[in-house]
Amino acid sequence: MERETLDVDVLVVGGGPAGLAAAYRLARLNAEQGGEPLMVAVLEKARAAGAHMLSGAVLDPSALTDLMPDWKSRGAPLDVPVRDDRIYFLTARRALPFPVTPPPLRNHGHYVVSLNRLAKWLAEQVEAAGVDVFTGFAGTELLYEGDRVVGVRTGDRGLDRHGERKGTFEPGVDIRARVTVLADGVRGNLTKTLIRRFGLDAGRSPQSYAIGIKELWDVDPDRLPAGSVIHTMGHPLRHEEFGGGFIYALPEGRLSVGFVAGLDYRDPLFDPHVAFQRFKRHPLVSNLLAGGQMVRYGAKALPEGGWHALPRCHADGALIAGDAAGFLNSMRLKGIHLAMRSGMHAADAAFRAVREGDVSGARLSEYARLVEEGPIRRELYPVRNVHQSFAGGLLAGLLYSGMSLVTGGWWFRDPMPSHAGHERTRTVKRYFGGGVPPEPPGVPIDRALTFDRLTNVHYSGTRHDEDQPSHLLVADTDICRTRCIEEYANPCTRFCPANVYEIVDADAGAGKRLQINASNCVHCKTCDIMDPYQIIDWVPPEGGGGPSYEGM
Amino acid sequence: MKTAVCIKQVVTRDWPLRPAESATWVRDDDASFEMNEPDAYALEEALRLKERHGGEVVVCSAGPARISQVIREALARGADRAIHVESDALSAAGADAVAAALAAAMQDESFDLVLTGLQSDDQGFGQTGVVLAERLGLPHATIIMEVDIAADGAGLRVKRELESGWFQWVAMPLPALLTIQSGINQLRYATLRGIMAAKRKEIRTVPLDGVASQGQRILELYVPEKTSATRFIDGSAPEAARELVRLLREEARVL
Repeated sequence: MERETLDVDVLVVGGGPAGLAAAYRLARLNAEQGGEPLMVAVLEKARAAGAHMLSGAVLDPSALTDLMPDWKSRGAPLDVPVRDDRIYFLTARRALPFPVTPPPLRNHGHYVVSLNRLAKWLAEQVEAAGVDVFTGFAGTELLYEGDRVVGVRTGDRGLDRHGERKGTFEPGVDIRARVTVLADGVRGNLTKTLIRRFGLDAGRSPQSYAIGIKELWDVDPDRLPAGSVIHTMGHPLRHEEFGGGFIYALPEGRLSVGFVAGLDYRDPLFDPHVAFQRFKRHPLVSNLLAGGQMVRYGAKALPEGGWHALPRCHADGALIAGDAAGFLNSMRLKGIHLAMRSGMHAADAAFRAVREGDVSGARLSEYARLVEEGPIRRELYPVRNVHQSFAGGLLAGLLYSGMSLVTGGWWFRDPMPSHAGHERTRTVKRYFGGGVPPEPPGVPIDRALTFDRLTNVHYSGTRHDEDQPSHLLVADTDICRTRCIEEYANPCTRFCPANVYEIVDADAGAGKRLQINASNCVHCKTCDIMDPYQIIDWVPPEGGGGPSYEGM
Repeated sequence: MKTAVCIKQVVTRDWPLRPAESATWVRDDDASFEMNEPDAYALEEALRLKERHGGEVVVCSAGPARISQVIREALARGADRAIHVESDALSAAGADAVAAALAAAMQDESFDLVLTGLQSDDQGFGQTGVVLAERLGLPHATIIMEVDIAADGAGLRVKRELESGWFQWVAMPLPALLTIQSGINQLRYATLRGIMAAKRKEIRTVPLDGVASQGQRILELYVPEKTSATRFIDGSAPEAARELVRLLREEARVL
């Protein structure tokens, strides 16, 4: 069967804020600079634009305003200005308000948004500007000529669970591009292979990550005025764990309630989903949610490493933008504006490179210069060691963060040393000193305030064709049932927020085995990041599969 | 041959449903939508007939602006053009209102063949196609599993699905209307070229003529009350088994 091909000038992989900002910028440059317009296309693995978008989210509109000064008249879904910022330190029973809101968390002039709606709207603007947005197509491999990236191959469609062709088989498409902008999100599957092939992270700090788990709730509209923003630290996390909770109020009693936990915890029995449930049971939160209804659920990893963890973001024929590179300010808890800004810089560099007929990495390094000289470095450099400082615990992190506001981020060792999160997880034996581990803090599931993973997944709208090859490739499942079960007690069953990984009885009393419920996957990438043996490889399922994050 | 396919946009299967304030429909302001499944099979059948017999495939749909999502999807899969009867009043309309709206817009097109899905995944009356046939003055056949058009194009034979694994072949004249059963064929994927070509295809938007028909109204929509409850029986296995037998005999009265 013949493989479809398509030639474009710039291919953007990923229809999130970074990719869509890049595409829109390219369309604007086409219109402003005249001449033969560049052909631009966007690939998005979700069935519909925005369907895999999940964030808090409080939006700093600075990048959007630069991208599209008339966003208001174009009906951008920025309806809720932040009216009130509060931060609490939680103990098990009490909520202690911070006397003042630290400057990085002041959100005056920002908006409480749904990233799903923002991306959906942005995709409409991009299409109206003449760019093709192909939803339902996942990029599965980069195309090379020598060492130059020349495009992307999309996944085959219509394969059964054994990888055999079904009657509907449709081979993947080769989209050839002069420049490929990789905006494939946190731990993007294509970016991962590009970084490995060229060692783009050489000499950089390892990227560190967190997992964000979020629910949308409908509660009594009088409970919390729209535009209220609440952040918490402390309970249910211990001193050694990084993270915190958030509650953002949208109109008509809709609340965004979420919890972020660093994927660099030591305790192998730590469970981010349980931590989220415990957070909701804290009186500060449970009083807000009482009598309400959970209406959506989702989870997504986020890059926390900051400035020092950014890889080199250009190669021959390719650029990396947004969360795929790690443009996120963990001190301000914001990344959307930086993702958009990086997409705009990538577009500028790509446009000029294509126009001049030189798409080498050297020419595309203009992108790095734009990042260095523009608002991204101005924002990220001073907080470059913040996330790393939390490795010493909450107190050390807070002290350093406070100090960095005065010192501009200086530290005795810069970059502050750090390790990949999965290397910090200790074995059960080491963490608990060889004794029997205590029962981890559980949480009663009442399906009113607290939910089990399976119920939650139902509210993520996740759907995959069941008859397709598993998209979670575990290199050696023997490790799961022999080594991991002993050493780490199979942490995949806890860090996966969607019940994808289960350890079940093997047939005929042959011990245990790993069962992968791939169709539950919400594409958060946590397993690819956090598995202690690094044997899980997340690859895209058939295009169109995944969650449906309407309103998230 | 000029074929019309009527499609409907419905809330995605497995979407967590909640009744709206009005209690006459579900809250769909933040829902995810997709093409009604039997309609997707009807579209595929129309495309296959076009591949065999030539002609044109026209997608017809009635509903608010958001249904352009499924119209564009149908064009991307290969339909040639579309007619969109646009009105917010049709967003949760019944079969009667939808058929009336479609008939008014389709009347002058003189289609040789009209295909609809057997029923909708949301309301499931299975009547839109049938009422539409009456309004257009066409003969119809329902629950179609195979379509065989005569070589001279004068008529067709269709295979209807009956109960218990029985089928029935019916000979009909053209023009005609058929309601298509899911599974009649295998659905194709939209291709990149199809998606690009769809942008240039015509979508003729027509307003609803008059008010939506009120021949049929949903009076109340509610979530069924849970009547079954799980009960755990304590005790050792023999004791629990005895208690289970007693409950099945005395309370459930099934033994």
